[in-house]
Amino acid sequence: MEKVKYLIIGGGVAGTTAAETIRQLDPAGSCTIISDEPYRLYSRVMLSKPNFFLEKIPFDQIWLKQEDWYAKNNITLMAGRKATTLDTAAKTVTLDDGTNIAYDKLLLATGASIRNWEVTGAEKQNVFYLHGLDDAKQIIAKVKSAKRAVIVGGGFIGFEMCDMLRLAGIEVTLILRKPHFWDPVLDQHSGALIEAALERSGVKILRNSLVKEVVGNVAAQGVILHNDIMLPCDMIIVGIGTYCPFEWIKNAGIQVNRGILANEYLATSAPDVWVAGDSAEFNDLILGEQIQLGNWANAQMQGKIAARAMCGEKTEFRLVSFYVTSGFGITIAFAGNVRPAEGGVHITRDSADGNSLSRIIIKSGKIIGATMINNTKELAVIAKLIEKSANMENDKDKLSDPLFDLKTLL
Amino acid sequence: MAKIKKIVVERNLCIGAASCVLSADTVFELDAENKAIIKLKGGVKSADPAEKNTLEDEAVSDDTLLTAAQSCPTRAIFLYDEDGTQVYP
Repeated sequence: MEKVKYLIIGGGVAGTTAAETIRQLDPAGSCTIISDEPYRLYSRVMLSKPNFFLEKIPFDQIWLKQEDWYAKNNITLMAGRKATTLDTAAKTVTLDDGTNIAYDKLLLATGASIRNWEVTGAEKQNVFYLHGLDDAKQIIAKVKSAKRAVIVGGGFIGFEMCDMLRLAGIEVTLILRKPHFWDPVLDQHSGALIEAALERSGVKILRNSLVKEVVGNVAAQGVILHNDIMLPCDMIIVGIGTYCPFEWIKNAGIQVNRGILANEYLATSAPDVWVAGDSAEFNDLILGEQIQLGNWANAQMQGKIAARAMCGEKTEFRLVSFYVTSGFGITIAFAGNVRPAEGGVHITRDSADGNSLSRIIIKSGKIIGATMINNTKELAVIAKLIEKSANMENDKDKLSDPLFDLKTLL
Repeated sequence: MAKIKKIVVERNLCIGAASCVLSADTVFELDAENKAIIKLKGGVKSADPAEKNTLEDEAVSDDTLLTAAQSCPTRAIFLYDEDGTQVYP
């Protein structure tokens, strides 16, 4: 049986950053990445951006590593292979083709999977999800001929896909299950700012709506809504969230909840097994809670920190997470924990003209997160306030004043 | 690593993910189009290539600049050394 010193499951930004960090700390130790996609590292963030879809930037910009980067760094990339079984006692991983690999140190950077759309007819052609490069390629091809699209789901993917399709001149209907965009992460006012921008650019929004069925023969030709109204379309993009596919990891006896549980060093409950990226539900020292976050910055930094621990340099993971997107002349930024399970108090900083607002989330007197619409200029300072964990109990009134300079609280 | 002399944000590649702003907020910010711009002396904000000694925070460490460039999910930040050699990416 082949044995490697460092085995990494997942070839995304968390896994690849980990391999890169390992190579800096241990130039000689053998290192293998198993990736279930047949590609080297690419920018999953760029995948949903209109300029990429509409081929305004060269396709090859998607690659974040040269093809020979792996060989040059003595890192083995086994692409297009899937890990199926883990034995933490024997310290082995089995792949889908039956190959067994033994490890000294194992990193689970397995990411998230796209939640399936449980609707009759959802398996038809021209129903797309956006997860990996193969999905993007299919959408890029379809956008060239599509006339009418339906987008399902009010989140980042829905927003970015609406933008891309409108720029491509396609008629777009956005179907929201909830009363407003990104309910309940965003409040009604924040959602309304986004919806107004979408509608100004010609997106038709159906709120409190569900698709009952996708109709068509082999390919989708329309959707039937909950109220039996039929909406013709020639493409559907579904963005209704993700889940962590960890059955094989759970079966190995590793503790899981929504994600794979880890401490502040990103160590799992099994010896010599770490986790990084979207699949990690870790002890966040800044937020003071066990949390799972799905974003690029988090995955990249966790890859680095987990790799350090694998090389014997235990380092606490500390990062204020964030995500920013823009389109239709509007920007949406999130920082920290924007979905506190309980006990979060929202403080709104509403601009005088009503075109921008931040909502700061306070829990136990401390800022733990914020959502900003057209207010990305406050992102850096709010991230610092979250990191500082300063008590804001006496400053709540100031926070709600949009003219109050948050920097004075640092 | 060679000393960093010049910083370039490739505007076409920038998607406004704000990674550079969070890594080096004395150097980068996002403009009205949600693209990264560079903060120069005298409060000037520029989308053009900038020499390190013209930065508002000219004392920023090379490590910080490199971290900012490495954190960009579209590799839109280019760093050059004193010989004009590309340091990153």
